[in-house]
Amino acid sequence: MSAIAHQDHNEKKAFLVNSSSLKEVRIFCRQVFEKLQIQEDLKDELVLAIAEAAQNIVKHAFKNAADPNELMVVQISCENNKLQIAFYDRGTPVDPKKIKHREIDNIKPGGLGTFFIQEIMDAVEFKDGKKPWINHLVLTKQL
Amino acid sequence: MTYKIEEIDNRRIVHLDGEIDMEVSDKARNTILPLIEAGHEVHLNLSKVEYMDSSGISVLIESKKLSEQKKTKFELVEVSKPVEKVLSMARKFL
Repeated sequence: MSAIAHQDHNEKKAFLVNSSSLKEVRIFCRQVFEKLQIQEDLKDELVLAIAEAAQNIVKHAFKNAADPNELMVVQISCENNKLQIAFYDRGTPVDPKKIKHREIDNIKPGGLGTFFIQEIMDAVEFKDGKKPWINHLVLTKQL
Repeated sequence: MTYKIEEIDNRRIVHLDGEIDMEVSDKARNTILPLIEAGHEVHLNLSKVEYMDSSGISVLIESKKLSEQKKTKFELVEVSKPVEKVLSMARKFL
């Protein structure tokens, strides 16, 4: 837990659903975390978790084939030192019961992104997406 | 991401730099795997990689597996701090 009292903040940005947007997502997160004065090591971890979640939207919710104008929204908020990152998309509905990283003895690529997210964040929760959104993922971390 | 390949006998020293994410992981994969497929020892230098996510780790896992199948060598010779951090998290999983 951080000794710093981080200021309350709320900021969101929409991105096209494609792999080229992942760098923009990382830049946006870094800019917000700079404002929040989050320390460098934690910032790197949070950026990774957010980028992995955004990647999952591109890769799984849209199967790498989103409409060119399709958008996803990333919202970062901080209140009372609790960081919340919300993702909104209109891809295939996610069944949270089917979201899991692969078995530990199954040495092959894939599933690592979900593992990273779970390692870095305190909580990962899928909520009901309110129109026009279908999926609403919320990651939280106590700073 | 850009890359450079040095050739020393049967060794291929692959230097990657920049950011390795989902967008460029195929480029990394298509750079490394054919070298292993051809039976070369591949030494991967990641000292100038500023960011790597699970897509990049997947390329490393695939490369290692292919090198075992081909009975050749695949190893990391140098890694940057960001890569080391992601690798250390991935090691908990692998």
